[in-house]
Amino acid sequence: MRRFVVAVTACGLAVCSALLSAQHTPGAKFDLKKPLTLTGTVTQIDWANPYVHILMKVPGQPTPALWAVEVEGPITLADNGWAQESLPLGETIRVEGFAARNGSNQISGNKVTLTSSNKPVYVGVNGTPKARPTATGPTPRWPDGKPRLGPPPGQTGYWGFPTKHGLSEDGQNVQMDDYGLLKNIADASKVAPFQPWALALYRTRQADSLSHDPMFQSCKPPGGPRQYQQLVSGLQFVEQPDFKRVLVLLGMGNRNRRLIYTDGRKQVGQIGGNDDNPLFYGQAVAHWEGDTWIVDTKLFNEEFWFDNGGLPHTEQLHLVERFTRPNLGTLHYEATIDDPGAYTRPWKSSWDLKWVAGEETPYFLCQDDRP
Amino acid sequence: MKRQIQNVLAIGIGAALTVAMATVDIAGQQPAAQGQGQAPAAQGQGQGQGQGRAAGGGRGGGNNQGRGGRGAQQGPPAAPTPRWPDGKPILGSVPGKAVDGWGAGVTTLPQGMLDQVPFQPWARAAYDIRQIDQFEPHTRCKASGVSRQFSTPYGTEFVEVPDLQRMYILDNGGPNSYRIIYLDGRQFPEKIEPTNYGYSIGHWDGDTLVVETRGLNEKFWLDTRGTPHTKQLKFTERFTRLNMETMEYQATIDDPGAYTRPWTTTKFQLRRRAGEEPFEYICQQYNQGPELMLGTQESIDNSKFYVP
Repeated sequence: MRRFVVAVTACGLAVCSALLSAQHTPGAKFDLKKPLTLTGTVTQIDWANPYVHILMKVPGQPTPALWAVEVEGPITLADNGWAQESLPLGETIRVEGFAARNGSNQISGNKVTLTSSNKPVYVGVNGTPKARPTATGPTPRWPDGKPRLGPPPGQTGYWGFPTKHGLSEDGQNVQMDDYGLLKNIADASKVAPFQPWALALYRTRQADSLSHDPMFQSCKPPGGPRQYQQLVSGLQFVEQPDFKRVLVLLGMGNRNRRLIYTDGRKQVGQIGGNDDNPLFYGQAVAHWEGDTWIVDTKLFNEEFWFDNGGLPHTEQLHLVERFTRPNLGTLHYEATIDDPGAYTRPWKSSWDLKWVAGEETPYFLCQDDRP
Repeated sequence: MKRQIQNVLAIGIGAALTVAMATVDIAGQQPAAQGQGQAPAAQGQGQGQGQGRAAGGGRGGGNNQGRGGRGAQQGPPAAPTPRWPDGKPILGSVPGKAVDGWGAGVTTLPQGMLDQVPFQPWARAAYDIRQIDQFEPHTRCKASGVSRQFSTPYGTEFVEVPDLQRMYILDNGGPNSYRIIYLDGRQFPEKIEPTNYGYSIGHWDGDTLVVETRGLNEKFWLDTRGTPHTKQLKFTERFTRLNMETMEYQATIDDPGAYTRPWTTTKFQLRRRAGEEPFEYICQQYNQGPELMLGTQESIDNSKFYVP
């Protein structure tokens, strides 16, 4: 909840809960100890994911300075009734937010107000966000009786709105924000059965507002369970029985596509990975046990975070994921983390995803708002 | 786009900056090429399951010669175009057989007809600058839509999903993403938020799949050589599978923002990469030049706008 700090006072919790932001916890990019208010003239709008940027000219001596104002992403803004045209070029705006950690001319647009009318723009709700009731109905099935992971024939939809945004061991009561940032850092040791080095690293990543996240820093892919934790977009499965594989088409992170093989092949040597060349998405093979789809993945590299909150993993990670679709509207996901390099024993974390019927995965590319 | 390009002209084409960028580009592509080289090397392992990589797949190396087999075809004549039960050509893999890919086949859209391309003056200037500059958004891991998909080394895979009345085109190179082509007879929405892949709708014209795309943004090039376009672009592609091995590709560019009239490219050919499954290639993995490439978030300053 990116605008949490300011928005609680500005718009009340009810409104803020309608806002889901795109990628990083606010403190990752902005210094929450450096509040800043600027007034300037809008010169350009970069309507791009993960965050829309308003470019504005701020008067100054000897010359005006160009500033970038970072506001919500296009998906969230559009969902709340905003369009790029809602803010005409040439308008004067007042921006309240925080200064960028790197000292550049960037400010978080926690509150953006048109000075001419004193009305807010690009923040909060500008209309009624689209209602997305949970789809109801029986589990769609293939002719052979196996559950379909995608839409019923002739329909469309995607999986989104995960009920959990950071991995933590089932049964532990741990509070996190939408980016996997712990509400209370003292809970760190409860999150998973860490080895000491892994706990120390996790605490460091948390204490640094997740700002060293490879996805935030360099748009590295969200491999492992993280692809099922994405906030404002989602993912689709395309099952291809003819080719004995399942395509996972991610809407968020890097809008990557990846493959899960269901042809009974062995683990080694597929899709370009091996011990010398481990992969972001690893090598995944899957099979059905009753109505449960079990995906077994190995050969991950260590260049990414496999959950939003910065849990460490090593190349020894062996991930077993169990998917069940108890009805049309719900995908239950359970990850078993077996990584003797980082944890003292295997452990589980599970959550649900919601079927968003009739909609395409919202378009999202991590690198879109970058130069 | 137009205004930005004019700004560049004002700043000075011949500035040392341009040269510096060109240099960085070459240097910057090198690590990516090495990264590309890794996957094939690794691919050798575990290939004992009879998934032969066809000759001419052209995966090797990181250089242009390795690109998608525009070379002479060898051996017996190609098998006929595979077809669905309803008689329509299969553009992707044949159900029940191994997965096939398509090699890259588009070099530059004005190939063989540069003098006949109805550039507006600014667009021609932009095209000329880009021949020197070559600082393509693709090198910064931007997704690249329409014809640019068929310029990327390692090619694409066409995934037809009759069940869902759509086709996906998976990119192997670049940011490892995908494009959707709707085949369900829908119309374009009234408003399309511009994206790198745009909004694509296809229909059959005899044995040719005609795909029209609107809603493209200006954050990518149409080909590796920088053929310019604006948001006004309506892009039409014609996919004709001539036989088992060859896909013919032709594009029509209708962009009143950059050209004085619509124009149609020559016919390009994509070659089948038999039995070649998509593999994991992540542009960002070795593409981390802090300033000019994708950059890290610590170094990025969104108040400094880069003009592609």
